[in-house]
Amino acid sequence: MSYLLPHLHTGFSVDQAILSEEDRVVVMRFGHDFDQQCMQMDEILAGAADQIKNFAVVYLVDLSEVPDFNTMYELYDPCTTIALCLPQHIMIDLGTGNNNKINWAMNNKQEFIDIVETVYRGARKGRGLVVSPKDYSTKYRY
Amino acid sequence: MATLAESFLADLDDLSDASDREDEVPQEEEDTKMGDGTNEELDFENLQAVARLASSERYQHIMAQVKAALERGHVDDMEADTAAESAGPSEEDPTYRLLVDCNQLAVDIDNELLVVHNYIRDRYRLRFPELDSLVQHPIDYARVAKAIGNEIDITNVDLDAVLPQATIMVVSVTASTTSGRPLEDDKLEKVLAACDLALQLDADKALILRLVQEQMHRIAPNLSTAVGTEIAAKLMGVAGGLRALSQMPACNLQVLGAKRKTLAGFSTASANPHQGFIHGCDVVQKTPPALRQKASRLVGNTCSRLARVDAYGQDPAGSMGQLSLEEMRKKIEKWQEPPPAKQTKVLPVPDMEPRKRRGGRRHRKMKERFGLTDIHKSANRMNFNVPEEEFMDGEDTVGLGTLGSKGGSGRIRAAAQQQRQKLNARQAKKFKARMVGSSGATSGLSSTLAFTPVQGIELEDPSARAAQSNDQRSGTESYFSEYSGFRSIKARP
Repeated sequence: MSYLLPHLHTGFSVDQAILSEEDRVVVMRFGHDFDQQCMQMDEILAGAADQIKNFAVVYLVDLSEVPDFNTMYELYDPCTTIALCLPQHIMIDLGTGNNNKINWAMNNKQEFIDIVETVYRGARKGRGLVVSPKDYSTKYRY
Repeated sequence: MATLAESFLADLDDLSDASDREDEVPQEEEDTKMGDGTNEELDFENLQAVARLASSERYQHIMAQVKAALERGHVDDMEADTAAESAGPSEEDPTYRLLVDCNQLAVDIDNELLVVHNYIRDRYRLRFPELDSLVQHPIDYARVAKAIGNEIDITNVDLDAVLPQATIMVVSVTASTTSGRPLEDDKLEKVLAACDLALQLDADKALILRLVQEQMHRIAPNLSTAVGTEIAAKLMGVAGGLRALSQMPACNLQVLGAKRKTLAGFSTASANPHQGFIHGCDVVQKTPPALRQKASRLVGNTCSRLARVDAYGQDPAGSMGQLSLEEMRKKIEKWQEPPPAKQTKVLPVPDMEPRKRRGGRRHRKMKERFGLTDIHKSANRMNFNVPEEEFMDGEDTVGLGTLGSKGGSGRIRAAAQQQRQKLNARQAKKFKARMVGSSGATSGLSSTLAFTPVQGIELEDPSARAAQSNDQRSGTESYFSEYSGFRSIKARP
């Protein structure tokens, strides 16, 4: 499904994409198109992208093509999703301990849309940290 | 249909004792050759007695007219186009009358054909019993019977012009192993005469139909353009004239000609109730079966309109009929269009849409269930300089405000449902009737116990509170209390 979403191939284009969006949340997925987890996440993203296009936009970035952000966002997982809204990167309290990014593949489109909506609401009010409606702390079941 | 019933009875009799009948034949043969009304002896052997229509005067008169009209039609065609002088099909128009008669005659011929078919079948069954099940159609049966006659060997008979190839094959094979025996000459003669009669009736019917079709365009041009001349003629025939047809409501027109035949014992749960001639028209038959009922209704309505137009002579050129036909076809095509494609809704930007606040009685009633009640409101208020009563609910302390028995009204529970809405006159009367029934005494739910920190449990007289004079009532009970404000006003000297 990654062919349905726009890709960004250079660091410059990534910057431009973030800066050009004035009133929309920018959702970036960092990973590889051929990775299994990324494929799963891409399917969710592609399904949701059309529905949330009024307040969010989704981009895909290949980690090998654009390594510039690896250290900045600590992109060490196969699939990482980050939400940004000018002028800052929005932190989401997902319950996993890491508020900066979603570093697993989600499996429910509606949950993803809820998270993006919460991010939008928080960002409009000027909040840097929002609380996700669903808690993912039990994602790793030991 | 006395003759029809009688011919059926004859079938039953024939089955039981065929041999007896054969003896009777030579006696009765002479009697009823020319008998139309003189010899009323019910005789099933003679064709004339059973099938009277062909020899009746009315029939011959009408047929003569038909033939004359057909001949005239070829000559008159040129003139009829130019002279559009007919001021509508008035009832006196001879062509109109002829058409009406033709319609009825067509129906009669149909019935007559049935009778004759039975007659032939009964006689010919002795020769070739299986033919009836192989060739059902009455006219085909007559033709085949005439062609075969008494022949033993079917290969000598040429059936090519009469039946399709497959049926010929089946017939030949069955004939070679048939259990019938050749007929006697006089019987054969009867059969052949009956066959001739059947074929003649059929030919006459064809003539009638031709005449009707040719003339229909002059009498009811719009109607015949829309549904075709045959159906238009049938409708007119059944209705009894164009004027009668125009006065029928459209729903009746739809079921004109619906068969309600109940053959004794057979089920009437047929697949087509309420389907008349209209159902057989071109427009309806071409629609897919799911939409046929709807189409039939549409055509019925249009026909009703066009019949009215024709009955009063408007639009003799038939243009309205043409337009209506096109319209019907277009409508039916529109019905068959697939529904518009589903479009996925894009979510609106959060918090951008103003919230739709609803009003209305239902919404208000629902809000009442979750809103602040009067009891809560009075619990929130406190009287001046009077400590409120409190009770412990687990760890919490809940104050009672003006509800407490000491400082407040003493009413802890709600008396009845709060009536915030204006009732209409009928409901107000009902409510009052209910209120009147209850006594005006103190509510049984009010408490007389007071838990004071100093004296412990204190009992108070409930009637004392009710009898309290208005001077002692505080104005804190309600925001709009009557007793709020200053109590004493010193008179000015």
